[in-house]
Amino acid sequence: MARENFHRILNETQQDVLRMGSLVEEAITKAVDALARSDIALAEEILNFDDYIDDLNVRIETNCLNLLALQQPMASDLRTIAAMLDIIIDLERIGDHACDIAQITKHLANEPQLKPMIDIPRMAARAREMLREALDAFANRDATAAHRIPAKDDEVDRLYRTVFKELIEFMAKDPKAINRGSNLILVALYLERIADHATNVCERVAYMVEGVPKKLKRSVVEINDVAAHGDELIRAARVEGATGAP
Amino acid sequence: MISPFLAAAVALAIAFIIAYWVTRRRLEAVRAELAAATDRAAVSSDSDLAAMARLSALLDALPVGVIVIDDDARVVAFNAGATEILGVQAERPVGRALIESVRSYDLDRRLLAALREGVEGTADVPLHAASDRNLRITTKAVHAADGSTEAIAIVEDLTRVRDLEAMRRDFVSNVSHELRTPLSAMKIMIETLQSGAGGEAAAGFLRSLAAETDRMVVLVEDLLDLARLESGKLDMRFGSVDLVELCRDVVASHLPRARRLGISLLATLPDGKVTIIGDRDKLVQVMVNLLDNALRHTPSGGHIDAGLSSAPGLATLYVKDDGPGIPYDALPHIFERFYVVDQSRSRSAGGTGLGLAIVKHIVEAHGGSVTVESELNRGTTFRCTFSI
Repeated sequence: MARENFHRILNETQQDVLRMGSLVEEAITKAVDALARSDIALAEEILNFDDYIDDLNVRIETNCLNLLALQQPMASDLRTIAAMLDIIIDLERIGDHACDIAQITKHLANEPQLKPMIDIPRMAARAREMLREALDAFANRDATAAHRIPAKDDEVDRLYRTVFKELIEFMAKDPKAINRGSNLILVALYLERIADHATNVCERVAYMVEGVPKKLKRSVVEINDVAAHGDELIRAARVEGATGAP
Repeated sequence: MISPFLAAAVALAIAFIIAYWVTRRRLEAVRAELAAATDRAAVSSDSDLAAMARLSALLDALPVGVIVIDDDARVVAFNAGATEILGVQAERPVGRALIESVRSYDLDRRLLAALREGVEGTADVPLHAASDRNLRITTKAVHAADGSTEAIAIVEDLTRVRDLEAMRRDFVSNVSHELRTPLSAMKIMIETLQSGAGGEAAAGFLRSLAAETDRMVVLVEDLLDLARLESGKLDMRFGSVDLVELCRDVVASHLPRARRLGISLLATLPDGKVTIIGDRDKLVQVMVNLLDNALRHTPSGGHIDAGLSSAPGLATLYVKDDGPGIPYDALPHIFERFYVVDQSRSRSAGGTGLGLAIVKHIVEAHGGSVTVESELNRGTTFRCTFSI
């Protein structure tokens, strides 16, 4: 493989990462759309998306390994390949979460909505925005943007806590809401994870450009206080039910 | 006697001089040729540049997005339309792979399929960018004379078309609903009358029938007016109109109704005349619709102030009430057809939901503008401003 061939394949592989990213982005958008509209056909479409995403994943991985094995790349090229191998893992996980949301949509399609969805689409929009900007940072090799974007994760975490608390309250008041409520908590959790994966992508991009290895932050959203509050609510609901019974 | 050495030296010198002279001439010729060639090259690249600038100006003038990629799948043309529709910065895409600037898997895939496999076609695809859009993409392969292949994508923005289609559907369903509701009520009353109801009940039904018929006549007239206004077919008879007199007349004709409703209605008018060029009947309709709207939404004991204020070159008709006001998020929609802020209340108040749309069209047909200002529980003010 000649050197110019090496760069051609490296470039094409980087473009494939962006292709995979745009598919994943579309999958999240459609997943949350399908959920908000209880649209089973759209949810099915996302499950098919996953095949394309997996195909790209395999192609990128193979190309990266070939480049590593046959060309012994150095410095920036080596970091780019290493970063891509990491980024596709995050992208693949995001795609899986979009599928998880699509499955929940199918499961909940025949149940009435608890209330109009507001915070979940908002979370999805934020998470999508983070992913889009992370991919922009990758395309433009923009380390400044890669350092800036993860701060947006706080907003997603805040929304997650709000959704969690609200749904616990709903379920505490009305046991019939438990199926829907618990599934929607999962949706919120997936969206929160998607934002975390976008943060990982940013950290990989920063490493790719600057060459300074950095430990990935583990994002844990504190919900203990909310969970405790939920326990109280459930107890209160039980007591009410007990005294209210004939 | 000449020594053979000297002779050889002289011969050598002469040979050298001749060689030098010949070489110099040749060099000069080459240099001249080079200069000429450089000139020619400069001229031709100048005209190439001019042609390319012209082509890119033409592409930029197109109302659709045009993207061209070369043999290596690099973007070679990306016009202003594409920049706007796809939401990218102008200079970024050229020279790079499309996916690096426009994150649309579908667009990229279709363009590459046209380039590599000659698969051409048209498809509607959504674009999930900063704002979501509906796009129609047409892709084609272009074969150049030198054997190279390029691919071109034409990108149309269908977002507005789709929005308009949705608006039209809403409008038709609204009209059907508005016409059917009074009709069903009338049909029931007629059937009761036919089955022999008489006396006081019959008289009551007939009064209701007359009222419903009036409401439908108003609705149909409003609809027709609006249709004519929107298609620009409404005859406007322009003349000189005194807004002071117009305002006084309209307010006077509404005083009995205001008194009946227990609302204080007064007119604040300047002395003398404020004259604009306009269609008097249509301007009366503006004032009637605004007053009618205020009377319907102001509770008993409220106040309505209708009047005229003028600034140099401008005249403003206004109707101000201290009614319940309009919620902030409803404000941008109140001039839309059939938009009513509170469905349940407005129906009982008897509005068609067309009055303000008509006001807006008439005022704009006069080159004026209409604005609304409202605060919840404090009241609402409508202002129509015309140039004098």
